[in-house]
Amino acid sequence: MNSKLSWFPAQPPHGTKHVGQRTSIVALLAFAAGMLAATPRAIAADAPGWMRALVNAPLPAHDEKTDAVRLYSEEILTVQPNGKIKTLEREAYKILRPGGKVYGSVRASYDSETRITSIKGWCIPAQGKDYEVKEKDAMETSLYGVEDSELVTDVRTKLLQIPAADPGNIVGYEIDHEDRPYILQDEWIFQSSVPTREARYTLQLPPGWEYKAVWLNHPEVFPAATGNNQWQWMISDVKAVEPEGEMPPWQSVAGQMIVSFLPAGGGGQKKGFESWGEVGSWYLELTRGRRDASPEIKQKVAALTASALAPLAKMQALARFLQQDIRYVAIELGIGGLQPHPAVEVFTKRYGDCKDKATLMSSMLKEIGVDSFYIVINTKRGAVTPATPPHLGGFNHVILAIQLADGINDSSLVAVMQHPKLGKILFFDPTDDLTPFGRLRGPLQANYGMLVMPEGGELTELPQLSPAMNAINRTAKLKLDANGTLQGEVKETRLGDPASYQRYALRAATKDADKIKPIETLLAHSFATFQVTKATVTSLDSTNLPFEYNYTIVSQNYAKLAGNLLLVRPRVLGSKATDLLETKEPRRYPVEFDGPERDTDDFEITLPAGYEVEDLPPPVDAEYSFANYRSKAEANGGVLRYTRTLEVKEISVPLSKVEELKKLYRVIANDERNAAVLRPTVH
Amino acid sequence: MSFFQRWMQTVFLSALVAVLFVRPVRADDWQPVTPEELKMTSEPQAPGAPAVYLYRQVDRDDQGSHEYNFKRIKILTEEGRKYADIELPFWKDRQNIRGIQARTVRPDGSIVNFDGKVYEKTIVKGKGVKYLAKTFTLPDVQAGSIIEYRYTYDMDGGYVFDSRWILSEELFTKRAKFSLISNHQFTLRWSWPRGLPPGTNAPEEKSGVIRLETQNVPAFQTEDYMPPENELKFRVDFVYSGYGSTESDPEKFWKQYGKNQYGPIDEFVGKRKAMEGAVAQIVSPNDGPEVKLQKIYARAQQVRNTSFESGKTEKEEKREKLKDSNNVEDVWKHGYASGAEINWLFLALARAAGFEAYPVFASGRHEYFFNPSVMNRSQLNSDLVLVKVNGKDIYLDPGTTFAPYGLLPWPETGVQGLRVDKDGGSWVRTTLPGASESRIERKASLKLTDAGDLEGKLTVTFLGLEALWRRLDQRDEDDAARKKFLEDQVKESVPATIHVDLTNKPDWKSSAPTLVAEYDLKIPGWASAAGRRVLIPIGLFSNAERHVFEHANRVNPIYLTYPSQKIDDATIELPPGWQASSLPPEQNNDAHVCVYAVRAENMNGMLHLRRQLTVDFLLLDPKYYSPLRDFFQVVRTGDEQQIVVVPGAASARN
Repeated sequence: MNSKLSWFPAQPPHGTKHVGQRTSIVALLAFAAGMLAATPRAIAADAPGWMRALVNAPLPAHDEKTDAVRLYSEEILTVQPNGKIKTLEREAYKILRPGGKVYGSVRASYDSETRITSIKGWCIPAQGKDYEVKEKDAMETSLYGVEDSELVTDVRTKLLQIPAADPGNIVGYEIDHEDRPYILQDEWIFQSSVPTREARYTLQLPPGWEYKAVWLNHPEVFPAATGNNQWQWMISDVKAVEPEGEMPPWQSVAGQMIVSFLPAGGGGQKKGFESWGEVGSWYLELTRGRRDASPEIKQKVAALTASALAPLAKMQALARFLQQDIRYVAIELGIGGLQPHPAVEVFTKRYGDCKDKATLMSSMLKEIGVDSFYIVINTKRGAVTPATPPHLGGFNHVILAIQLADGINDSSLVAVMQHPKLGKILFFDPTDDLTPFGRLRGPLQANYGMLVMPEGGELTELPQLSPAMNAINRTAKLKLDANGTLQGEVKETRLGDPASYQRYALRAATKDADKIKPIETLLAHSFATFQVTKATVTSLDSTNLPFEYNYTIVSQNYAKLAGNLLLVRPRVLGSKATDLLETKEPRRYPVEFDGPERDTDDFEITLPAGYEVEDLPPPVDAEYSFANYRSKAEANGGVLRYTRTLEVKEISVPLSKVEELKKLYRVIANDERNAAVLRPTVH
Repeated sequence: MSFFQRWMQTVFLSALVAVLFVRPVRADDWQPVTPEELKMTSEPQAPGAPAVYLYRQVDRDDQGSHEYNFKRIKILTEEGRKYADIELPFWKDRQNIRGIQARTVRPDGSIVNFDGKVYEKTIVKGKGVKYLAKTFTLPDVQAGSIIEYRYTYDMDGGYVFDSRWILSEELFTKRAKFSLISNHQFTLRWSWPRGLPPGTNAPEEKSGVIRLETQNVPAFQTEDYMPPENELKFRVDFVYSGYGSTESDPEKFWKQYGKNQYGPIDEFVGKRKAMEGAVAQIVSPNDGPEVKLQKIYARAQQVRNTSFESGKTEKEEKREKLKDSNNVEDVWKHGYASGAEINWLFLALARAAGFEAYPVFASGRHEYFFNPSVMNRSQLNSDLVLVKVNGKDIYLDPGTTFAPYGLLPWPETGVQGLRVDKDGGSWVRTTLPGASESRIERKASLKLTDAGDLEGKLTVTFLGLEALWRRLDQRDEDDAARKKFLEDQVKESVPATIHVDLTNKPDWKSSAPTLVAEYDLKIPGWASAAGRRVLIPIGLFSNAERHVFEHANRVNPIYLTYPSQKIDDATIELPPGWQASSLPPEQNNDAHVCVYAVRAENMNGMLHLRRQLTVDFLLLDPKYYSPLRDFFQVVRTGDEQQIVVVPGAASARN
């Protein structure tokens, strides 16, 4: 099936999900799953020979938590001279645990360019006769894998439930499909979430055709010639990719082969890509004419920029229009998964998906004399790297690179780089309505995207911004009384992504009272008792300004009496510690941060009269290549002051440094728990 | 509106029905938009709302089998624009949607008619099921716009469906009108169990049309620990009764229902001789009544319970060739049955053993709080058995796997049920176990290391409903998954990073009243530094209470599944030479429905921590939220108290 470029704009980083009218539909999925479990009328037919041959096959290495093992996986591709591809897919799993039941649910996704000609499944029970299910037993749905934000897509899924997918049994299936790919390329992802015993990929090319294969996350394996221009790759005993928190995207860890099919003579209109230049040219052709402006667009540009004199102000006005007035709606039918709607249409309807928004933005920029270029990218850093061969499958999003004329220098423009051909370019995501013009959210920073220029494409690394651009800075001026009650004012300033996250979270707040709920949640994690006596939110909608919370709190019994001593935690609120790496099993993958960040706390506690500091927690100074953490508690003139900084400098922590990160998190956790001891003043 | 509940007996055999009443609709007959609606930037009664319904209308005609819907929505914020994406689901073979019209009214009053495409999307299709959706989106929608759309559901004329008017929607409703023309061949009952919004008159029937108008209905809000949504949303339920069922007096209605239910059950259990033979194999003549009943209960639970087995495909069921049971003798012979059949077997055995026993139909409180005056039979969805033992009524449900003798699954506790007999029966109320009967006991024996880590053994005992739900939840899992489940539960209970390893094999397969889990436990860095002192928090297992009732405001009542209790007892051995220099004061906080006590003692260098938390209510009015929140703040304060310990060398100075 062809890939698609549509990324829902405001993916909740810590997530609320709006369902609107779709609630009942989500519930329906559960119903569909129930139907599937209840309805297949499988007949007793023997499983095919290839599955039977697996009955006594040794299992690949696995541990006691493994739900199932993949005994066999095979794809047989037959490329036809007209560019159509026939594929036979076979997979068989041995179910080891109840959780492995999911491997009895076969899902085959298809779109208007794909025809599933046959789908069958079998179960070989440990005891008793085999089961067989066929296409007539399958259900069809268009929901699996479709984002909430997609209004319409032609991607559908056939679901086939194989009976008795229980521990000890073997389930397997065969799917035949015919595809008319837009690009003659294929991805063979042979590494799965369970261990694989054997995986095969067989390629039958027309006479004279050639292929080019590139391997990712696995040493290259060379094929055997198994026929006339037929090639077969085989891999055995492939470990599972087991999910971990904050791990790199799947594409950057799972073993895969990207293979391009090259027609005889190399002059065919359609062929697999051999360079990013070709990918870019193809995309440029696909979008040709789509950015043409209508009189209405020209008129709107004139109106929007009428009061803006400088080019930067004009660009900012257009960016605001795109971010605020063009609603995100994805309608992806056929090539519409890759090809944007014309700017004219997007403008008229005032909605579109990421590539539509980029198209209209580009069109409008052109009207003020500014050139811009598509950047086709993935919203997760690491999905595409310089090692990735030229293909579109790794991308899911489109943004813009805007050419900045000499002389446009403004401190707000930080997501910029000097390009050897285009000069100074600014990266901008018109779909992201929370990140202001000039900046780039963390996951796009240091990410690789394809820059689409008139002369073709180029894989480009986007800039990484300074940690100080993303920050949560908290200051508090508080007063402690002899009963242990702490009260005072707190100011929280958020910049960059933390500001965007908070703004996103507050979108779901339907009442004013709900807007302080994030504060209450934060405080509940920091205080046993508290009342928020006053709270204000500043710059909720002004994304170009820091987001601010100002609130006043009272927390009774904050300081604990211990004999005649008072125990006070100088780190009053907020936590940077995490148990992400406190796992029984050793970490398998690097840790990925969303982006660089620099958070600070500065809390001042005026001590109660009659008390003085007897003991203070030790200062902390932990410096690593990827991050540093510094904290200090000081007493001065009846004031206990706690300051700390956590700075994330590198956005990826390699496996070799994960133990250091674990140490850092423990240091932070200890520091956060430490207390100062106050004693009655001795006169 | 529920299209799922189909009243089976209501199939019209007369095919001469349904001349569809079709509401004539023209593209230009939209109701005028007022200047006030255009100018509106917020709704004072819904401050901060992303959008509000200015007007909603539902006109349902069960004679003509169609339903007209109209919605006018004011978009107030950018977030509110999502309401311009419309998805209208329908069952293809039972319904159709026609006459979709929509438009956007810009803030300046200009109009953009929807002339785009209405897409038909397959949600689920296959095996005679076709659930589709008509999908479209409105153009040029901005904050300040008004969107409106209308459509008509046509329903299969061969059926009538129960339905409901939902008054409480996701958005605030300024004004709404509803009407329903009932199908005259059946009796229709309607009720509004949650009441109606203030100022709303009860639905009225005039000239065969039931009508209701309402206004200023708050948006429905979800919160933690709230009753089932069905109990909170303002709604009007319409329930059709079968042919000839015209009873409007609830008492008579339920009597008749009880009689109707009693007959088939009596027939199913009426195998006295066979049951007497079975009882003879189960009990001995010397057994007292309670012991007898317990033995019968245990034996009934030994019957394979197919209701609690994981879903099988039709083919698997067919291959297994399970026979239907026509009576309890069949159940006894087959050795397998559904949960309800096991209950009726137990009923028959109990009666054969000389007990006075009755079938009871109750309404599980996980979906509804039952109200007999609504006369909705489908809400009596649980079956159980009432047995009189030594003059006491005991409610039993052996048809629930792992339910111990004397304990019902929580949705069946404390609910109204219909005890049926040949005369129809009477209402009873099932028992609600006290908080101490659903208990978690945690007993830890730990050592503090020089590094501030806690290490040792932990035993957790789950009692009553605490054990039952865990057994039911994990019934389809294997040992590895259950181990992880129990370890995760400890992780979630300790407010720090911990390492925990389950060391025993809990008894997952029995109906014992307890479930016992034993662990090796390590809490790195539990003790924190305070200069030359060390502080040990006393709330070892306090994490669950740390994050409840965080927010100051509450809209909905507070509802718990069952009263419960936690009792923690931990000993901590200090490193040699270390001494506790200060212990926090004992706390006892009795807030009537919630009780908290915590105490730390120093017993010759051994610290002894005891904590008890009892939550003894099911439902609290929101006006009690504030004191409840205060109570949990006291709990957190108590749990955060610390023992001051002075390590070896330093202790000499104190």
